[in-house]
Amino acid sequence: MKLATMFPDVIPSLFRPPTTERYPFERRPAPERLRGLPVWTRETCTGCGLCATDCPSQAIELVVFDKKAKSIVFGFHVDRCTFCGQCAFSCKQGSLTLRADQWELASLGRRDLMVHFGEAKDVEDVLAGITTRSLAGPAEEGLGGELSPPTEETGSG
Amino acid sequence: MQETTRSELFTVPIGPQHPALKEPSHFRITVDGEIVTDAFVRLGYAHRGIEKAAESRNWVRNLYLFERVCGICSHIHATAYCLGVERLAGAEVPPRAQAIRVLVAELERIHSHLLWLGVAAHEAGFDTLFMYSWRDREAIMDVLEGLTGNRVNYSANVLGGVKNDVDDAQRGAILRAIDGLEGRSYHYLDVVTTDALFLQRTRGIGVMTRNQAEVMGAVGPTARASGVTRDVRVDAPYAAYDRYPVVRVVESAGDLEARFVVRMRELFECYRLIRYLLDNLPPGDLRGRMPRRIPEGETVSRVEAPRGELFYFLKSNGSDTPERIKVRTPTICNLTSVVKLVIGHQLADVPMILAGIDPCFSCNDRTVQLDEITGGSRIWTWDELRRNSREDGHGHRD
Amino acid sequence: MDTATSLAAILVFPSGFFLLAASLAYEWVDRKLLAKLQNRVGPRWFQPLADVVKLLAKEEVIPEGVNRFLFVGLPIVGLAAPLTAALYIPLAGLGPVFSFPGDLIVTIYLLSLLTMSIGLAGSNAVGRFSLVGATRTLTQLFSYEAPFLLALLGPALVARSWQIGTIAEAAGERWFILTQPLGFLVALIGLMGKLELPPFDAPEAETEVVAGALTEYSGRGLALFRLGKDVELVLGLTLVAAFYLGGVEGPLAFFLKTLGLLLVVAGLQAVLARLRIDQTVGLWWRFGVLLVLVQWGVTWLLEGAWR
Repeated sequence: MKLATMFPDVIPSLFRPPTTERYPFERRPAPERLRGLPVWTRETCTGCGLCATDCPSQAIELVVFDKKAKSIVFGFHVDRCTFCGQCAFSCKQGSLTLRADQWELASLGRRDLMVHFGEAKDVEDVLAGITTRSLAGPAEEGLGGELSPPTEETGSG
Repeated sequence: MQETTRSELFTVPIGPQHPALKEPSHFRITVDGEIVTDAFVRLGYAHRGIEKAAESRNWVRNLYLFERVCGICSHIHATAYCLGVERLAGAEVPPRAQAIRVLVAELERIHSHLLWLGVAAHEAGFDTLFMYSWRDREAIMDVLEGLTGNRVNYSANVLGGVKNDVDDAQRGAILRAIDGLEGRSYHYLDVVTTDALFLQRTRGIGVMTRNQAEVMGAVGPTARASGVTRDVRVDAPYAAYDRYPVVRVVESAGDLEARFVVRMRELFECYRLIRYLLDNLPPGDLRGRMPRRIPEGETVSRVEAPRGELFYFLKSNGSDTPERIKVRTPTICNLTSVVKLVIGHQLADVPMILAGIDPCFSCNDRTVQLDEITGGSRIWTWDELRRNSREDGHGHRD
Repeated sequence: MDTATSLAAILVFPSGFFLLAASLAYEWVDRKLLAKLQNRVGPRWFQPLADVVKLLAKEEVIPEGVNRFLFVGLPIVGLAAPLTAALYIPLAGLGPVFSFPGDLIVTIYLLSLLTMSIGLAGSNAVGRFSLVGATRTLTQLFSYEAPFLLALLGPALVARSWQIGTIAEAAGERWFILTQPLGFLVALIGLMGKLELPPFDAPEAETEVVAGALTEYSGRGLALFRLGKDVELVLGLTLVAAFYLGGVEGPLAFFLKTLGLLLVVAGLQAVLARLRIDQTVGLWWRFGVLLVLVQWGVTWLLEGAWR
């Protein structure tokens, strides 16, 4: 029976810096497999919707206007996402990846946490509440239109 | 409502809000001075309706639901679920995937035991051991983050296999972490068995004989500390445990010290297993084919969680949503032992005895709706459950 | 001493304001040392002050069924007692503000008044945890008070006086820790028991009785009790340092010796697990008293042989 068995741990600690990581002043780089924010690539998406079906928290709202023209809007509730990675796994085309460098996702309001990816015109329509468009008539927008980068468009003001 | 403490019986409530509990539960301890004369447990504070929620989600979504039954043993819940569903579907899971499942399960066991060591030390008032064991636990959390992408709720499993592979970088990181931890584990085993003040809180406290353990149905390290030689990984090997056998760690003293020793010695068994596994990983795919509609049938899945035997019953009706899934977690088996063992001990021993079974209350909440008139039970629908929990302001009526 | 000097001594220096500031500083040193020993960062220097200010700003919730006068008054007594005791203790390296033969007994009594008021406060409150905590506090009070007093009387024996000033001066000539090591050990451990520091913190064991006797306290009452405990920390350290570590002749010696003692106390806090209340009592009434009596016997013999 010994007394103070933690002694050899405790005394050297007086002369060593603490183990605490002083976030946010010190940030360690995230490991490459970290499951951060999902990011969607429109070009490879076929609009199958498996990602939305399989999402455990129903964080994905896929609006498909025209599969062939890739007129698809990927609506995403960042606040519902559990970062499980099932969407990326379910997608057979590899359109979804979870970025390891975007994991500081806190926000002061819920509005910032609903993001839409897609072409500008399509996203505008979805934000205005339009979720179907008649397929009669040529797809005038989208082809040759500006491909808007996947910006974090906030919900309508 | 003043009450004297001398020879009148006096009820001390532990929980639902109490610094000794990491999760809410209610223990009504009747004391006479400092000696406990009776104990009564009431659960239900962390009930989330997971089993009911599972009935309205498809099999893929349910994997993540069941992973969140418990934060500490999330992977083993997911593994039990996957094994059951794969058995129902008759799917082939490649050996490499099973091996990786075992790898993550053993890493989780290490993390869980180190967490428990810290918490139990905190209950004993030994905060230094708490801080150091949790500091060392960070090594395993970092390894798991590097391997699966998250520190808790690893989501390493998918139906039919695993998501992430183990490459050389991963193997190196795991081995380095384990080498560092092994030395620390020897030190903790030494502390737990030789520190005079700590032993005063654990030796001879909460003694459970082998017979008592068998009668009360204790499982896991709690039972193995009393000499019960039961370990699901050995008795009924699942996943890849037939290829990577485990040795049962059993002690016979049955007191709190034995429970500490069993868990510390299990750590060494985990290290040995992980090293062997990493040297002998079978090549191959990471996942097999899995149908979306699981054929009709019922199956049972038994695995060894860090706390004991975890039991899943899955019933499918042929569609892509389950008919019924029932989870029986190890803590609910061990709680009876707490209620019986605290009698005769001092009030100060109650948190220690409770910590000795490694309680995880999130896992084991149940609710049963009893009909007062007919005396039978009734099944609630999802809406009724939600309405009762939310709109009435409290989930259970006394 | 004329009135003005007395008032200044009581309110500003060395008692009063200086003592309160010093007690907050010592609490910080204790917490920071403990954190460093546990490989953590620990609080910043103003944390104890921030705690007190925050508590004073919060609402004081008085539970139903308690005696309101006692509930509000006991914290005031609990802080006033150590502040009064400070008048007889050589703080900051100066002599005691007031001094008279036998003031050692008065000081010890005043120092124990804090623990008694905590115990009474716990008994007054109607919560379960308060009652259990109060019982433990008072039990611990009865068990360590005697050995602690006896240990402090060891140097008093040699100095042949019960006046703190005289004893401190006698201690300045030789270090009693060398001639009465057992007494020093009992005094140090007794101090930890008195302050309810781990491993003797069963009365306020967070995982068993929430906060013990102080469970129902919040706001101003809690702030006053905490301040009282911090003041006692400083006073207890000063007494033990003055008696056993060769007196406190000047400010530098005062700070060095008391902080050195605090380092030892923090080290003991870090490496020892909590004792159950019955183990604390058993330890004290068996080893504590025994060691002190042995020490007395040895001292008596040696002194008799010396003179």
